[in-house]
Amino acid sequence: MRVKRWKKHSILPGFGLSLGFTTLYVSLLVLLPLAMIFVNTASMSWAGFWAAVTEPRVLASYRLSFGASFAAACINVVFGVLIAWVLVRYSFPGKRIIDGLVDLPFALPTAVAGIALTTLYTETGWVGQFLPFKVAFTPIGIIIALTFIGLPFVVRMVQPVLQNFDQETEEASAILGAGRLQTFWKVIVPEIIPAALTGFALAFARALGEYGSVVFIAGNMPMKTEITPLMIMTKLEQYDYEGATAIAAVMLIISFVLLLFINGVQWWTNRKYTHS
Amino acid sequence: MSIQIKEVSKTFGSFQALKNINLDIQTGELVALLGPSGSGKTSLLRIIAGLEEADNGVILFGNEEMTHIRTTERKVGFVFQHYALFKHMTVFDNVAYGLKVRSKRERPSKKDIKRKVTELLSLVKLESFADRYPSQLSGGQRQRVALARALAVEPKVLLLDEPFGALDAKVRKELRRWLRRLHDEFHITSIFVTHDQEEALDVADRIVVMNEGRIEQIGSPEEVYEQPNSPFVYDFLGNVNVFHGRLENGKWRNGDQSDAEQQALAYVRPHDLVIEREKPTEDAVQARVMHVHAVGRTVHIELKEEGAERFLEAELPKEQYRELDLQTGETVFIRPNQLKVFIPADYSI
Repeated sequence: MRVKRWKKHSILPGFGLSLGFTTLYVSLLVLLPLAMIFVNTASMSWAGFWAAVTEPRVLASYRLSFGASFAAACINVVFGVLIAWVLVRYSFPGKRIIDGLVDLPFALPTAVAGIALTTLYTETGWVGQFLPFKVAFTPIGIIIALTFIGLPFVVRMVQPVLQNFDQETEEASAILGAGRLQTFWKVIVPEIIPAALTGFALAFARALGEYGSVVFIAGNMPMKTEITPLMIMTKLEQYDYEGATAIAAVMLIISFVLLLFINGVQWWTNRKYTHS
Repeated sequence: MSIQIKEVSKTFGSFQALKNINLDIQTGELVALLGPSGSGKTSLLRIIAGLEEADNGVILFGNEEMTHIRTTERKVGFVFQHYALFKHMTVFDNVAYGLKVRSKRERPSKKDIKRKVTELLSLVKLESFADRYPSQLSGGQRQRVALARALAVEPKVLLLDEPFGALDAKVRKELRRWLRRLHDEFHITSIFVTHDQEEALDVADRIVVMNEGRIEQIGSPEEVYEQPNSPFVYDFLGNVNVFHGRLENGKWRNGDQSDAEQQALAYVRPHDLVIEREKPTEDAVQARVMHVHAVGRTVHIELKEEGAERFLEAELPKEQYRELDLQTGETVFIRPNQLKVFIPADYSI
């Protein structure tokens, strides 16, 4: 009887089998490896754990990692929406190429991206030489690298929503006397917010875990430009496995809480439009 | 406010949607633009609203030229077939939208907006739905919200694009009556687009029949129904039987003509077809009863013209049908009470 309540009548059977498989799959692929982090950490004493995760260098790296990831995700939301808008609303020569380029940060090995960005943004680089401030080997450089790798998420989330957007609603707004900016802010933006938020969450999560593209452009100066994944690598290189997993555990928990929070916001905004 | 449309044309790519349209609409009139899909009726409506720009021609509201005025400033009300409500706003906010987006100088106070919206919601009988979202309403309710939203800005002209097209038959009929009443009460010049002839005949003061980007006929519902000026209008407004034959000294002779030049077509409405047992005249048309549909007061009879393999449709009052006692498969004679002859050469398509 219990199971019956969740089961909906459907022409395609297999609720039990598919749910069982999903649980097993997610356990093996996601939960088990993550659990290992906590198992490893558990072998430390509480004092040792606390000392490892609150070391000043590590604390600085949390601030940098979360701060830069957040900044990069914010930049990506603004410009990702803009790119999606241009790709959906206008047709112009080369549109397909730009559409394809958007996915490139996914495909490119991140180390390649890191090296390329560093070369461009050093003080003598093609772009860097024209800038009045230092980019490479500063937090700004890290933000640029993280923006680069997070770009596709927002674009790909917002694009289908804009494609399905009913243009008549825009026309209705104009007929009622709303100016272009009013139509954009009051009619279009609320529609794309849920998708933009999802894109933001994905870009943010991706940026938190990013290592390859950042280590080159960051310069890895202690207390200044060390990101948390780098701290973990450093500990591993010193055979301090427990210290590494302890930091990883902290990062995991913070990320989980943040993503849960973003999901909550999303659920809340979604609920507004789709209660039926 | 009266509307004048002068020599308006519009092409989309290689497709000419409108060809030199001229139309005058009087203040307070309720006009239907009637035609099949692709006849240009929606394009014309969108041009009047300013959502589309005409290639050439002029549009006047009263004495004011509107041709190049932006939609935002035309002050028209527009109702879309698929409602086009703002999904993320409550019913109240949807209706208030047109007032809230006004510039500070013209915007009514919060209290006035609330009063106005409440008034409109009671007009469309949705007072208790003010806090709902569009997704929680039925199709008919959504369209009523859309109407209230359009009326909130006190438009001088109300344009409706197939407003009842997405609704089921019963709701459609109800809303139709309601629109008529609303119009009689407020006398806003209104134009509505429809492909449903019954809807147009039922609601409009005047009907503009459109076909292939042209106006075929303009007239009151009686005029276009009783005196169609082309086979198209005859065919489009209600069912019709077509007889092939020729004209002889102003008299109709039935029968296919080998000589295409003499060929003429006679159009007869189903209720103008008389069914008889006895042969009334020498050249009466013989037909076989194929099917009888006897639900309701009128009986629909499907016949097949003998020797021509063409199906005909007749409508009889029930009493007359009982008197005749028609059986499926029996052969009868038919005679048109009233017919209209068109020579195809004049109307070659």
